[in-house]
Amino acid sequence: MKELYSLRGLDVFQKDLHQIVLRGKGDEKFKEIINKETSLSLPPENLKITQNDKFLLAKHSFDQWNLFYLDRKEHKEVLKMVSTFNSHEEILASDYSYGQVYFEISGKDKNYYLNKLTHFDFRIKKFPNLSMAQTLVAKIDCSIYHLNDKFIITCNCSLEEYFKERLLDAINL
Amino acid sequence: MSSINNTKSFHLISSQKVSFTFDGKKLTGFKGDTIASALLRNNINLVGRSFKYHRPRGIYSCGIEEPNALVQIISEHNEPNARATVKRIYDGMIVESQNRWPSLKMDIGAVNNLLSPIFSAGFYYKTFMGPKGFWKKVYEPIIRKTAGLGKPPKEFRSKSTHHHHNVDVVIVGGGISGLIAALKFVKTNYDVLIIEQDSFLGGILNTSKKIKEINGLDTIEWIKKTEELISKSKNIKILKDTTVSSYNYSNHLIALEDKAVGSLPPNYKPELVLHKIRTQHTILANGYIERILSFRNNDLPGVMLAGSFEKFVHRYGVVPETNPIIFTNNSSTFSLLKSLIELNCKPSAYVDNREENSIEKSTLDYLKNNNIPFYTGAEVEGCDGRNIIREAFIRHKGNIIKLKTNMLCVSGGINPDVNLFTQSKGLIKWDDNLFTFKPDKAFQNTIVIGSASGNFNFQKLNDEIKNKLNFLKEVNDTKIEIISNVENDYKISEIWDIKPEKESLWSKSFIDIQNDVTVKDLRQAITEGFDRIEHLKRFTTNSMGTDQGKISSINSLGIVSKILNKSVSEVGTTIYRPPYAPLSFSAIAGRNTYEFYDPKRKTPIHSWHIDNNAVFEDVGQWKRPWYFKNKKGETMHQAVQRESKQLRESAGILDGSTLGKIEVKGKDALEFMNLMYTNAFTKMKPMTSRYVLMLGEDGMIKDDGIVSKINDQHFIATTTTGGAPKVLADMEEYAQTEWPHLEVYMNSITEQFSTFNISGPKSRAIMRKVFSNIDFSNEKFPFMTFNNFKYLDTEVRIMRASFTGELGYEIYISPKYALELWKKIFHSGKNLGLVPYGTETMHLLRAEKGYIVVGQDTDGTVTPIDLNLNWMIGKNKKDFIGKRSLSRSDTAREDRKQLVGILPLDKNKKILEGQHILEINKLPKKIETPIEYLGHVTSSYHSPNLKHFVAMALVKGGNKLMGKKVYVSDPSKSETIPVEIVNPVFLDPENKRLLS
Repeated sequence: MKELYSLRGLDVFQKDLHQIVLRGKGDEKFKEIINKETSLSLPPENLKITQNDKFLLAKHSFDQWNLFYLDRKEHKEVLKMVSTFNSHEEILASDYSYGQVYFEISGKDKNYYLNKLTHFDFRIKKFPNLSMAQTLVAKIDCSIYHLNDKFIITCNCSLEEYFKERLLDAINL
Repeated sequence: MSSINNTKSFHLISSQKVSFTFDGKKLTGFKGDTIASALLRNNINLVGRSFKYHRPRGIYSCGIEEPNALVQIISEHNEPNARATVKRIYDGMIVESQNRWPSLKMDIGAVNNLLSPIFSAGFYYKTFMGPKGFWKKVYEPIIRKTAGLGKPPKEFRSKSTHHHHNVDVVIVGGGISGLIAALKFVKTNYDVLIIEQDSFLGGILNTSKKIKEINGLDTIEWIKKTEELISKSKNIKILKDTTVSSYNYSNHLIALEDKAVGSLPPNYKPELVLHKIRTQHTILANGYIERILSFRNNDLPGVMLAGSFEKFVHRYGVVPETNPIIFTNNSSTFSLLKSLIELNCKPSAYVDNREENSIEKSTLDYLKNNNIPFYTGAEVEGCDGRNIIREAFIRHKGNIIKLKTNMLCVSGGINPDVNLFTQSKGLIKWDDNLFTFKPDKAFQNTIVIGSASGNFNFQKLNDEIKNKLNFLKEVNDTKIEIISNVENDYKISEIWDIKPEKESLWSKSFIDIQNDVTVKDLRQAITEGFDRIEHLKRFTTNSMGTDQGKISSINSLGIVSKILNKSVSEVGTTIYRPPYAPLSFSAIAGRNTYEFYDPKRKTPIHSWHIDNNAVFEDVGQWKRPWYFKNKKGETMHQAVQRESKQLRESAGILDGSTLGKIEVKGKDALEFMNLMYTNAFTKMKPMTSRYVLMLGEDGMIKDDGIVSKINDQHFIATTTTGGAPKVLADMEEYAQTEWPHLEVYMNSITEQFSTFNISGPKSRAIMRKVFSNIDFSNEKFPFMTFNNFKYLDTEVRIMRASFTGELGYEIYISPKYALELWKKIFHSGKNLGLVPYGTETMHLLRAEKGYIVVGQDTDGTVTPIDLNLNWMIGKNKKDFIGKRSLSRSDTAREDRKQLVGILPLDKNKKILEGQHILEINKLPKKIETPIEYLGHVTSSYHSPNLKHFVAMALVKGGNKLMGKKVYVSDPSKSETIPVEIVNPVFLDPENKRLLS
């Protein structure tokens, strides 16, 4: 984890996370496979998150779930998990670990700064804990995960520099 | 004319002096003064020249509605058309008047006023119809030179930013109504945003003496306590110096905050913030606007709206004139009268259009007790003066009374400010007692309160707000007791324009002061048939200035209704459109300019490319190396020739990470792929790859790439860089809508793998050095096969494929390990002549082999058959996207444009892309009739390996023209270049290099 910006009311860290994108029907068999590998139940509805000590699972849409490791792993272990999922013909699992960048944003003024870059409604009553969103931040596609008092924002790694520059610009202005 | 300071005004208490210049003259004002209040403080009333007639103009109002006092701020990049009544002064500010030459007092353009008979309504439409050719050479240059008021700003980089808000309630206006509404939400669960255009809350409480006390407190004290209470409530936020400019669908409001009020905009901080607000409910408490009356020369400097005069007195602490004449048709001016008397300033006269029995007793008593000359049932017929009003003419009981004066305060009544309400698509209704439009039915969750709703009675204000907000749960019950200084009921008589006593070329009665539209223009427009209000507006340009006719648009409706003998309701109103007040393009653009105009995507190797002198080109949002300069001064042509030659002699490496990559899996993946692409995948062996084409439903080539088959349920497809999002979106769309019975899923893995293409005769040797445990022999690793290999803590996928026609490999690796591997390959290949190359060299090399680039050699009208790629079509497949279209008569005809190779007969000749293929060898000097052409050059490069140009072209019936001599046009000459039509594979047609 690397501290990017820290000022009164805002802390931004860049994290190394492992992520697997899962596609499938979400039927009983799918649930069983996920549960067997992660001990997690599927989130009850779209844009909700379930988690345990090791994993976080977010439901992006009716047929897509994103699985995060909460602790560091060797890449080969993640690839092994991808391979395990892909051994079931009803699941497509793709490793997203290093193709995405992860920013942990916290602090009491995080909504203020982020709302310079996105229209998204971060108010707790609209974006409660353990929910997620897919939206534009600084004109780029991002996923935002609300975990207690922090947001994890992910975007494609090719946009890492642009995202950081826009974030810094928003902080400075 | 002489002004005095109102030292009782809160504005002047502890205010600092500020110096600025106006037209080169150094002046002094107070901190917080607008340019207008500071000019009035310095007894300057002439501030500009009018748009069309260049008439002298002064300060007409005290706010955003100002039509006249538009100035140029030289110290702010020449910012033109700044409203002097809004813009605050600061030390060192340089202000100039506009639209005058050589000086404000002596403006040559004023001759236009004498020519006014020919500049009447519709002048432009009638005049610029002819003679033929005059528009381009005469009219347009003159109009361009004279158009506008100020000069364009100098180039500068704005620091405007955007900010998004999501709230439950927005209160527009922080005046008395807005503050009472806000109190309802203190410490509730509602997120509330109050938007106030001034630097202070309080509105009319600061600008007049209409209200004496609220809840037993002096008004200024009440504002202070209320603001404290609201500020402590965490759920309420206040934005000051912010003007709501648009009220859109879905309760979406746009507001502009001026962050540099009263100071020179700093270079390092935003000067403007554009707030984009989404809300559940909007409370419009944005007050009213006072309107003018039309009489002869009602535009002269010194004529000012009465309410604005009072605002200058209290809000800015300047009494513009100690003895003005007041001309009114309503009860609102009583407040001004009292304010003046309390400051020991006695009006020269009080002229009320209402008959004495209609005027409030308190007003009459006040006039009598203070010995103020007053005229009831009277009107100001007109006024005279040169650069300022000198005399006013009062028509009273059939007589004309001439009075000397330097200021005439006019009130034609007050209108609820319905602009935002109508922007929100709310309906307005005419009120026959108040002679104005009032909000009627809201279209969105809009609540209008106070004077904005037409409630001008302060006693009824609290009850109105309580009733209108009672549908909201758990809001506070507030008790507000207001003691006013004026009569509670607002009364008005109907009068719109006053018949002039005398007429001259100079004298005019204006209805739109900013656009120089007169009452006569309205009459003329109606006479000419423009009797619909929207037509009339456009014909006369009435209310089409930057002020949008805020102080006069209702008057024009009144005048038109009288001319047409209709009610104002029947005449209707024009549509109020955003923005409410002008806002700059830089505010709209925010930070989405220059380096942030478009997101930039960079590959994991980007830093290496920079270190190695890559010149980049934009491909979509990606930054791709175009070519690498190996020495200072090397041109692009030299670099590309060098890279191309070196690759064919030894090896080259390309960063292909930007290529789209899609993983497809599911039990029906095979069928899905067979449907998506033209190629047949059924018999394709696992762990092999294939060059593929994707068509649109029209049969035209949409994208190409390589599909790698892991097994019948699992594929990986690559796409073009620019086509990646569209191909994935199309796959999803077809999977979900056309073939929902297929169980198949797809993920974009473009970013999950960095891709390097290594090709050239020495590429195998380099690969062996990097991956010493892998057998790269032809037998173990044949062309178009792939496999996964362990590499460090991860895996690497290597495919044998080539886009250069040389022996080649594609390496796919997780981005985390990409740069390290790239460096390793480069280190390993150094002694073997490995060269990094960019997209331009890639294009050259593929052209030598006759490989196409989708989007360059195709243009959305090209089928696979046109490119002689019939072999890529799975003829035995039941169906695929575009199959049916390939058998249409048009797509099957033989004389379609087909891809051919082009070789110059003179090998020294240069062929340019995009040039026409012709059958004639010489073009006429002047082309008068269309020249038939056979096609056009799609790709052309100088081949360093063949030492001449090679080109590809789409040519009508090209397949049958092999060996034919045709000509290629040259844009710089009438001469054409003789060329031969050949097979487009110029190099290694036997594929010996590719399969080596």
